[in-house]
Amino acid sequence: MSILNRLRLRSHLDDAAIAAIWTDGTLDGRRPSHPHLGVCTACRTRFALFSECLEELRENAAAEADALFPAERLAAQHAQIFRRIEASERPARVIAFPRFPAPLTSRSSHAARWIAAAAAAGLIVGVGVGQVMDLRHIGAAAPAHLQARLTPRPPTPGSGGAPSMTSTSSGDEAFLSALDASLSRPSVPELRAMDEFTPRAGEQPR
Amino acid sequence: MTGAQAAGLPGREADGAAASAVKAMQAEGRFAEARDRYAELVGRHQRRAVRIALHYMRDAAEADEAVQDAFVKAYSHLDSFREELPFEVWFTRILINGCLDRIKARTRRARWFAPMPEGPGGQQDFAERTAGRGPSPEDQLLARERRVVLTRALAKLPERQRSVFMLSHYEGCTSREVSAMTGLNESTVRVHLFRAIRKLRILLAETTGTASSMEKRRVNP
Repeated sequence: MSILNRLRLRSHLDDAAIAAIWTDGTLDGRRPSHPHLGVCTACRTRFALFSECLEELRENAAAEADALFPAERLAAQHAQIFRRIEASERPARVIAFPRFPAPLTSRSSHAARWIAAAAAAGLIVGVGVGQVMDLRHIGAAAPAHLQARLTPRPPTPGSGGAPSMTSTSSGDEAFLSALDASLSRPSVPELRAMDEFTPRAGEQPR
Repeated sequence: MTGAQAAGLPGREADGAAASAVKAMQAEGRFAEARDRYAELVGRHQRRAVRIALHYMRDAAEADEAVQDAFVKAYSHLDSFREELPFEVWFTRILINGCLDRIKARTRRARWFAPMPEGPGGQQDFAERTAGRGPSPEDQLLARERRVVLTRALAKLPERQRSVFMLSHYEGCTSREVSAMTGLNESTVRVHLFRAIRKLRILLAETTGTASSMEKRRVNP
């Protein structure tokens, strides 16, 4: 054994060395061992205390889990797991789309469609014919005064082609002129002579 | 005891045989038989799964759901299970991934939603408050205090160190198994475990004085 190894064996193990020994032992699944632990009682005691502390930690964790999950709760969990598995294996239920009592595409629906189209066509034709008939009726049975207004009179031989209504309108024109003149002239007799002498704007030559 | 165990097969071989049988039954469409056989596997690993999930989630209800999800997922994906890997390792990986997903979701929820006020009955739900035939109230109180201290110390560890410590120390997994379960390198597993126990020792010394008492017993040559 070399001097260095002898010195190592004689010096005490520090915390890191103890942790390393414990780690190797735990991970390799074997009993932790180190040459110094075999010869030094103090370090062996320290290592034992360290292992005990960690063992207590493990036991406490297990006790905590067991207290929170007693056998009844585990049984309930077991049952729930298998309920879920069974539900996942069951084929998915397909909900049928709601159906009409009679199918939409049937022979009777074709007939109904033809009937509706014929009725619409009949209505259109009826309205059109009605319009035409109404127009003819208006043309045939219009009142006499309307007829006279609408239809032009044939020209009379003496009138020179002018409509007879012209004479009526000229009479009206004379009447209106007289009315206008009477209104525009002063109605006071004393002033009438003076008015005669005064030229009017409408009579003045341009 | 399961049929395979009764026949003298070790636990892992029995697991492998049961998993293969369930897989074959599923392929043949014998679902009722497959469920019955799978029940053996669930019964064998349920308690261990609950411990692992509880360790990750720190909440009984969430751990319960995580374990259920993991078993249902393992059953529905059993066709991807390879016989060369122990069922325990394969299943634990599913469970751990599920727990980590839940923790992520919980963190997101905590970021966006205000916490619910606690009920008048205290923090625990009814199932957790049910009285049992156990140790005396004083012992329970002491044990609870000790557990609280240890749990706090463990909770202070980084997530990877905590996982490695829990799997290797609580569940007795080897570095190879921990590596397969967590996806970490074997040497990384060793480093994480080493750091975890060093840190734990310091944390426990701060809270309980365990390490200081150990230091007192230390004898210099």
